[in-house]
Amino acid sequence: MDSPAANAAFAKQIGINFPLLSDMNRKMLKTYGILKGYNVQDETYEWALRANIIIDKQGVIQFVEEGDSAVDPNTALTMCTTLHKKDSAK
Amino acid sequence: MKRKIALGLLVAAALSAAPVAPNSGKSEVAKMTLKVGDTAPDFTLLSDQWKSVKLSDYRGKKNVFLAVYVLAFTGG
Repeated sequence: MDSPAANAAFAKQIGINFPLLSDMNRKMLKTYGILKGYNVQDETYEWALRANIIIDKQGVIQFVEEGDSAVDPNTALTMCTTLHKKDSAK
Repeated sequence: MKRKIALGLLVAAALSAAPVAPNSGKSEVAKMTLKVGDTAPDFTLLSDQWKSVKLSDYRGKKNVFLAVYVLAFTGG
């Protein structure tokens, strides 16, 4: 996992304005089922999936995509817009 | 553009990308255990500003877009 210092440099480089988080002990990745073990020649290696997850204000997961489909964030962004419109209509 | 739609959280995991094509041995097919409708498990992670960010701090306030981004080339 990348350190907060590495993430800070990256955030500055690409100019983002949202938190860039480090899961240094891989706890969150394991809890969410994103970190998986692969056995290669009798050695176990841990690798993370790419994933997009949208969680609403109530803390309920509204959208999940993983693996190759999560490389393009547009579907998730569309879901964000839909969720925002629902909130605004309330 | 206003960025009120959702709070974006990015978990950078550059060193944890899945192997593209392991040549030998068995590999477990990774599959997320969480699904739509589940309550998102709480977590606390360190931000790039060295501040603790807790998912539950946003409950009742903002929607959250959590992107787990492997091979982000952060340099870390």
